[in-house]
Amino acid sequence: MFLAIKELKHGKLRFLMIGVITVLIAWLVFILSGLGNGLSTLSAATFKNMDANYVTFEDGSRASMSRSLLSELLAEKLESQPNVSAASAMGATMGTVLNNSDSETNEKVDIAILGITPDSFLEPNVFDGKPLQANKPLEVIANETLKKKGFKIGDTLKIEGSLEKMKIVGFVKNETYNHLPAIFTTLDKWRSIQFAAPGSNKGIEKPVNAIMLQGENIDSEKLNQLFKNTETVTKSTAVQGMPGYKEENGTIMMMLAFLLAISAFVLGVFFYVLTLQKSNQFGILKAIGASNRFLGRAIVSQVFLLSFISIAAGILLTYGTALILPDEMPFSLDLKLVILYALLLLVISILSSLVSVRKITKIDPLQAIGRME
Amino acid sequence: MSGIQFKNVSKLYQQGENQVLALDEISLTVEQGEFIAVIGPSGSGKSTFLAIAGALLHPSKGEVILNGKNLNELKPKDLAQLRLEEIGFILQTSNLVPYLNVLEQLLVVKRMAGKLAKADKEYAKELLQSLGLAAKLGKLPEQLSGGERQRTAIARAFMNNPSIILADEPTASLDSKRAHEVVQLIANEAKTRNKAAIMVTHDERMLEYCDKVYQMEDGRLKHDDSNSYEKLKAISTKG
Ligand SMILES: Nc1ncnc2c1ncn2[C@@H]1O[C@H](COP(=O)(O)OP(=O)(O)O)[C@@H](O)[C@H]1O
Ligand SMILES: [Mg+2]
Repeated sequence: MFLAIKELKHGKLRFLMIGVITVLIAWLVFILSGLGNGLSTLSAATFKNMDANYVTFEDGSRASMSRSLLSELLAEKLESQPNVSAASAMGATMGTVLNNSDSETNEKVDIAILGITPDSFLEPNVFDGKPLQANKPLEVIANETLKKKGFKIGDTLKIEGSLEKMKIVGFVKNETYNHLPAIFTTLDKWRSIQFAAPGSNKGIEKPVNAIMLQGENIDSEKLNQLFKNTETVTKSTAVQGMPGYKEENGTIMMMLAFLLAISAFVLGVFFYVLTLQKSNQFGILKAIGASNRFLGRAIVSQVFLLSFISIAAGILLTYGTALILPDEMPFSLDLKLVILYALLLLVISILSSLVSVRKITKIDPLQAIGRME
Repeated sequence: MSGIQFKNVSKLYQQGENQVLALDEISLTVEQGEFIAVIGPSGSGKSTFLAIAGALLHPSKGEVILNGKNLNELKPKDLAQLRLEEIGFILQTSNLVPYLNVLEQLLVVKRMAGKLAKADKEYAKELLQSLGLAAKLGKLPEQLSGGERQRTAIARAFMNNPSIILADEPTASLDSKRAHEVVQLIANEAKTRNKAAIMVTHDERMLEYCDKVYQMEDGRLKHDDSNSYEKLKAISTKG
């Protein structure tokens, strides 16, 4: 550590340049991870937030709500199965709403309409207003996005393609579904919108898209056998089944992986060149008795210090960036992810310095003494 | 048995087709408290000799015994340890670590050995003071004159109180006044603290401080009795 710090102080410019590169790499990594996190929130926050462990779909739907159609009556039967503590149905459909109360703004807003049973574990808590009530089918609760777009509690909504008007009674936070802000309504109301066309319910009694199950260690295989034409999967599989979720995540992850691989290479080369420049100096130190371990430690601790400071600076920059990014941008930093990527970067830079450590062990102390005059 | 002992040491360099016999059956003993010089033309094998003495190079044949240890039998890690603890190397020019100040140049040696104690710092300061560097403790190598740098290197070589001192042309970059001072210092250290010291030099003027002078020629080492200083010394000690 001693040699490491002394040299950092002495060669400020040189280390500053490497530091700046590390900061930029870290910055980009954190921004990408924030974007990835933001996108996946946008596409599946409602699923991620819901307090369920398993989801039952129609067999063959490949864990996708839009391909699945079941009867709500199934929920009761599922609830009586071992390890299932609660079951509640959900329906989802996409739509467009107009604010009917405000004659000035007649801007249409795309939304996801989610049908749930009021007061079930699927109903999110409102932070403003009142929750849903089973006997008031014309009331809905909406994601705060609508509030930001000028909707207020008490406003009536007109859903396109439906004659009925609904009233916003409450707002919820962080409920987005399939990249759209969600509004929650009762299952009956949802059905009247989704299955307005005669026959579109395929003759299923009380149709819904899926049934969410609460309970640890549910035997999904057994449920699949017991209830023909159903397929029960874990919540995370259901999240993966959200439209676009896998693709978006995959793209971001690939960019991150490339970025990390490139940074490992770039940093490795930088450290290696630095080490080469100093090989004579290391030769001298070896000649007067420095062990490979001593010198290796000097290099690794130097890289550790430099990376640590740079990554910390990268984190600060990222949080600074988050402040100035526009609200609509799907960017959300998850502290756990930030820490994870910070550690990953630290490990990568230290691993990349190991090439240099290897080089040191090869340096011949003989070169320090003027052998060939 | 302390000191350093060469027993029929040969070194053969293999360079492509050519073989160079850099050292040819060298036998020599340097006792503690003895300061010897090796002189000889360029390419005669002096540096090779010093590198082998300093455990930096393996002989092709023969063995070197350093303070009773046969260097052929030590592992690389132990050799580094031995260099650290028992050998003080004074190399040619500019062999200081560029980003360490004079005091730190000495302390880093202690750090290599493990922990740095308070006493080590005091010892390093004393050592530097005795070499006339008391005012330069915080200076970087680039801020020092050639002589100051060389004296720092000497202090560093003495820092771990090694029993063997090896110097490769320590006066090459110094004016003659400084050169005398430097060699005097080495001679003094060898005498007063009972160390075995070997100096490789081109500089005939420095031989007066040495107990014995050896002549290296084509890899063979000859004791040079013709050296006038040695004779003078022999006479003066007799008389
Ligand atoms: N690494 C080496 N490979 C091949 N030949 C070498 C090597 N080092 C030294 N030699 C040869 O060995 C001989 C002695 O070299 P050296 O010990 O450097 O002599 P000096 O220090 O007296 O000038 C020279 O002929 C030199 O060319
Ligand atoms: Mg030489």
